[in-house]
Amino acid sequence: MRAKRPFAAGLLALALLAPAAASTQAGPLRDTAVGVGEREYTLTPYRRTAPRGIVRFNVTNFGEDGHDLTVIGPDGRQVARSPEIKAGARYALRVKLKRPGVYRLVCTIADHSARGMQAKVRVTRR
Amino acid sequence: MAKRPSNAAWTEAHVRRLLWRAGFGATPEEAKRWTAAGKGATLDRLLDSRSKKLVGPTPRVEGRALDPGNEWGHDVLWWLDRMVRSQRPLDEKLTLFWHDHFATTDQETPLMLRQNQLLRSRGLGRFPDLLRGVTTDWAMQLFLSLTDSTKEAPNENFARELMELFTLGGGYTERDVREAARALTGFEGTWGDSGLKRIRYNPQRHDSGVKRILGKRGRFDWNDVLDLVVAHPRHAPFLVSKLWGFFVAEPPAKAKVKALARVYRGSGLKIKPVVRAILADPALYADLNGPGMVKAPIVFVAGSLRTTGRGVDTDAWVWLMDGMGQLLFRPPSVAGWDWGPAWMSSNTMRTRFQAANYFAQLPGITVPEGGGNP
Repeated sequence: MRAKRPFAAGLLALALLAPAAASTQAGPLRDTAVGVGEREYTLTPYRRTAPRGIVRFNVTNFGEDGHDLTVIGPDGRQVARSPEIKAGARYALRVKLKRPGVYRLVCTIADHSARGMQAKVRVTRR
Repeated sequence: MAKRPSNAAWTEAHVRRLLWRAGFGATPEEAKRWTAAGKGATLDRLLDSRSKKLVGPTPRVEGRALDPGNEWGHDVLWWLDRMVRSQRPLDEKLTLFWHDHFATTDQETPLMLRQNQLLRSRGLGRFPDLLRGVTTDWAMQLFLSLTDSTKEAPNENFARELMELFTLGGGYTERDVREAARALTGFEGTWGDSGLKRIRYNPQRHDSGVKRILGKRGRFDWNDVLDLVVAHPRHAPFLVSKLWGFFVAEPPAKAKVKALARVYRGSGLKIKPVVRAILADPALYADLNGPGMVKAPIVFVAGSLRTTGRGVDTDAWVWLMDGMGQLLFRPPSVAGWDWGPAWMSSNTMRTRFQAANYFAQLPGITVPEGGGNP
């Protein structure tokens, strides 16, 4: 059987034109994009470190199930969470990460995190 | 040594035709310069230039440099910029050809960018080297389920496309596919806490038994399968015909296919001599005053930017190209895009007019009478 998956190409256009979801207000802090790929059952950030400031997690769901992106701070508390991102869709999660340290990225849907959908991003002082 | 092409009839129209088909158009200055230089010098420049310079405005979107790995659409803009500013436009055109030929989609952006570099670096070299690179390329491995295809559960996806789309186009049986899938087993992915860590060949996962593929019998592995398909009599005609169709509107006559296949085989399966022969062929320059091929959306956009001297300064090109039916790095399936008249649906043409309006808004842009390029 041929590998063939639908790609919601139109969503790309929408994503580029629509304002990103903001969980915090943008300020004078640095703004860094971190691409994130999700699928069953991996979560891959394309940048492993980011300077403290505004971080935009540009999530693409390459999988066949819905996933979310939840950011957990160095203290173990949830910092931000996207809504469920449908298969083939994209979502920009904009978060202010002022505190340096290691942040965990996970999918909190069902047992996806336990099955491998988790990753780490280090936030640095500069 | 190849015979030097004659300059008897080498006009600006010839140069424009060549540079649109083998690249992304010619500025009036380029058309003049390469007309004066002659056909042989123009072909040499296209095929043998070593310049790595990117000439023109550095791409910026909303005042910022491109971030192709992390910003949506910047992967597309990054490649578009190369098409616009490269002094080796044929390299980018061939990369586009191979991107369609070895169509891969829905993979992580860094892996797709890495595959793109592979296609560029081997695009004019020996086909077997390119094929080996693609076979072990992580994006392709994941897309066609070659990774983690084991002797216990061989996956046929890659074996099937290897024969159908990549090398032969026919002349094989279902059994050949099944047996080749067995031979291609053994690649193993290792996954860490942030996605894929590596893919390596693990002989323990390989089916080392005897296989029968394309009439040959042996304990074949993945390297052997690639050797078998490129040695098959269907391979050379298949590949040279596809290359021809990328550059020339009229299908090749049987004698032409045979001649190009001879060039290909005689060179040790090198791509460059075949491309040179196609670009030098009179058929490429037929009907210079009439449009023979529909420009692919990316060629239309890159060529318009290149010939007007405008750099990549907006991400609008991403949704415009998507609307025209061709978003780089996202071919619709493993079979790639439908080319030619398929670009001309009412919806895609509407977006093409929108794109033309973007260009027309540029200050100082005028279209001289008869300035269209076939």
